[in-house]
Amino acid sequence: MVKDNATPENLAKATTEEIKRINPLIPMKAKVTKIIEETPDVKTFYISKEENGQMVVPFHTAPGQLAMLSLPGVGEAMFSATDAPDHLQLSIKKVGTLTDELHEIVPGQTVGIRGPYGNGFPMDQIKGKNVLFIAGGIGLAPVRTAVRYCVDHRDDFAKLHLVYGSRSPADLVFQYDLFETWPAVRDFQVSVTVDRGDDNWKGNVGFVPAFLEELKPNPDNTVCIICGPPIMIKFTLGILDKLGFTAENVITTLEMRMKCGIGKCGRCNIGSCYICLDGPVFTLAEMKKMPNEY
Amino acid sequence: MKAFPKAKLQEVLKTLASKGTLYVPALVDETHRYYPYRADIQVSLEQNSAISPKEIFFPSTEKIYNFTAYGIDGDYEEILPDRTACVLFGVRSCDMQAILCMDDVFLTRGYIDEYYATRREGATIVALGCSKAGADCFCSSMGLNPVEHEGADAQLYDLGDYYGIQGRTEKGEKVVEALAVAGLLSESSAEVLVPEEFVLQVDSEGIAEKLQAMFEHSLWDQLWRKCINCGTCTYLCPTCHCFDISEKKKNQHCGVKIKCWDSCMFNEYAMMAGGHNPRPSKKEKVRQRFMHKLRYFPERYGKYQCTGCGRCIAKCPVNLEITDVINQVREAKVNG
Amino acid sequence: MNSLIKEMQALAQELLASGEVKGVFGWTKGSRWYLTPPLFIQKAEDAIKLHYDEFAINNLTSLLLDYRNSDDKIAIFVKGCDSRGILRLIQDKQVNPEKVLVIGLPCPGMVDKEAVKDQRHVHDLPLLRKCQECRYPNPVLADRTLGDVQVTKEPGVPIGITAERAIQKGVGSKGKERYQEVKEIEALSADEKYAFWQKQHEKCLRCYACRNICPACNCRECIFESDKKGWVNKAATTTDNAFFGITRAMHVAGRCVDCGECERVCPAGIPIMKINRKIMQDIDELFGTYDAGTDLEEAGPLNHFKLDDPEEFL
Repeated sequence: MVKDNATPENLAKATTEEIKRINPLIPMKAKVTKIIEETPDVKTFYISKEENGQMVVPFHTAPGQLAMLSLPGVGEAMFSATDAPDHLQLSIKKVGTLTDELHEIVPGQTVGIRGPYGNGFPMDQIKGKNVLFIAGGIGLAPVRTAVRYCVDHRDDFAKLHLVYGSRSPADLVFQYDLFETWPAVRDFQVSVTVDRGDDNWKGNVGFVPAFLEELKPNPDNTVCIICGPPIMIKFTLGILDKLGFTAENVITTLEMRMKCGIGKCGRCNIGSCYICLDGPVFTLAEMKKMPNEY
Repeated sequence: MKAFPKAKLQEVLKTLASKGTLYVPALVDETHRYYPYRADIQVSLEQNSAISPKEIFFPSTEKIYNFTAYGIDGDYEEILPDRTACVLFGVRSCDMQAILCMDDVFLTRGYIDEYYATRREGATIVALGCSKAGADCFCSSMGLNPVEHEGADAQLYDLGDYYGIQGRTEKGEKVVEALAVAGLLSESSAEVLVPEEFVLQVDSEGIAEKLQAMFEHSLWDQLWRKCINCGTCTYLCPTCHCFDISEKKKNQHCGVKIKCWDSCMFNEYAMMAGGHNPRPSKKEKVRQRFMHKLRYFPERYGKYQCTGCGRCIAKCPVNLEITDVINQVREAKVNG
Repeated sequence: MNSLIKEMQALAQELLASGEVKGVFGWTKGSRWYLTPPLFIQKAEDAIKLHYDEFAINNLTSLLLDYRNSDDKIAIFVKGCDSRGILRLIQDKQVNPEKVLVIGLPCPGMVDKEAVKDQRHVHDLPLLRKCQECRYPNPVLADRTLGDVQVTKEPGVPIGITAERAIQKGVGSKGKERYQEVKEIEALSADEKYAFWQKQHEKCLRCYACRNICPACNCRECIFESDKKGWVNKAATTTDNAFFGITRAMHVAGRCVDCGECERVCPAGIPIMKINRKIMQDIDELFGTYDAGTDLEEAGPLNHFKLDDPEEFL
């Protein structure tokens, strides 16, 4: 129950007897196997667990789900995670004590990991549709979990389009995906913009909302997945509305402080939703019904 | 009903304590809370305990795992409480209902909190019906019966000179049986004493529904003005379950992770890395507390997260009373 | 008393209606006869909600901290003991005196609601111990006064329309015995003292009510607010609780205005004022009698250095 099918509906129905008895607060011991320096303040950590002498993925995550990463003796925090056959990828920006320390570690470091947490993107419901991904800055990390899913299941989806922006060319994360992997995928338009260019930047310069307005993506049979800084989201939602995207077809993730990850410790609620359990993924239509307190 | 004389309370407690840990409300160093029974402890059943029994299942601080960190190596070692049987004696209806609220949080919705579950599963709860309402009690206004609660394993009734006792569950029957075997029980047909009308009353019906449309209501602009954002209300509350996961370091290489009470009144509680706080001021914090008790929790678990025990009312430094908040919500005009 | 309440309401009404202040801190009649909790009003028509009697025990001054970044002028009613809290906030530069209008009241002496025997019917209650020990029943600072009270920096007897009753009830009658409790602890052996305070700190819930009600605890960010700083552990163990309690006492040393609010609000019943009074006594003995928060011009013995300061510990 816990690991296989933790949708909010199922969780709501789950009785004591149906819940698998594990101690959900204890991290699983794992190792950092690879660290990619994405930008000056973002690194991607590959995390695997050792099992019978093999390095394997600690647990599988669905697109949009979260993992609680801890550095022993430093702290623990929740991050968006995407899985591969033998590892989890967590892309982490330096913003506080824990993330500062994480940026100092080297491959081979022991870390603790627990999860997966949260509902994830409703990929089944998006099947057969066009998907418009919009991301700003480190917001590409959660969006990328869905992009990877769509690329891996390319035939299940119609056209793919990613609109991504960052402060400067140096701040673009996942450049290997942006400029190599994804443009090679069939029917996948990748549109990148930066707030300020540099001498070598040949691409678009401008903020995401304005760039999106120029690109004029077609809302017909299209679902939009958007993550980024609140200010970008705020203005982009206005453009999406103008372009004709309905609130039901705009999906985003919400962020709150989390400690337990399992809907017990209280702090991550927005109204009666716990973001760690019922989120972090919500449609704009759902968010409109929630108190504006995030 | 089966009963024992109040004069024999100590013998009853001794009998139960001989079977395992027995928690009783007692006065120690002027603090009225649940303590493991000892023959020399000052048991006090006159009024409800000042500190709620939630700390038996959900201690204010508990160790959850040890960790070590040497260079790039590290390890985790689980610490679980002992799965031992215990009896809670003298739990009032309000606190019994609160335990059910806690059960909802810690034992349902996909995950079980093993720390809570381990303690809770071994517990037998012997409830005690109230024959007198405390100064700040209002459980009857929250839909409870002060005289009995069906969630208890066994129920005590105040019969004047006797306590009547009824087993409700298998665990509760065992308690009754233990007392019978000890020869402490006799039959009594005395009337169950019931409290006179509560001084503090409030109409809580429909409040959760009404609050649905009141998140932005001007009521919240006033309620916080006298609040000092201390954690008294939340720490005395038998249903407040928020906790933090923090740590105590023994040295630079090892330490212990702890689960400890936290409060929505505190600034750190919802503060995110990077400094954004979705509930930055007293207004949002006060609103969160009352909305959680009266709307969010009912929406999620189908019951109010306030059981009318009155502890927050008794000890709030500024008399910010939840009954008053309920009244103000009831009287508030809602547009549309 | 009724005429005094009418005066308070009229003044608050006038101050709000004229726009001289944007809000008024006072008290109102609570849900039971023995409760007179704090009230903040912003509208002139709400002035009739104001009330004052021997249950208006709350010192409202720490609530001014919510307005320290505001340009709005706020009026606040104070009893003698409360007024020292205003001085504290001004001396600590947390409140701009231009933005506060202090209204001094005569104090009838506050009574002990813990002694209530009948929730339904009004009956007599004993005077609070802190009021028996009161040395400053009159405001030490006020922009306006009501009820014939007078502003005075000196300790003394109650003045104003409630004075007669206050003296009769015993306000200030034990002013000279206020270090009695300190002497009792001092008489204990070191081990007994340790055991006593261990028991007290074991009870602490770490709710921080003592800190948050205190006009001297006015740091913008308390070091105990966050466990990330590494100063204190979030675990509510006796050691960590004691560390909090003692650190707080030392931080308000020489600044504590003796209002007793910390002890009153402690849900665990820790006798916090015993520590504060011990420090006051030590300051008196080392530097000469000093009452914090009574003289705006005087910095206080722990806030400045004098060549003849005692320095036997150096």
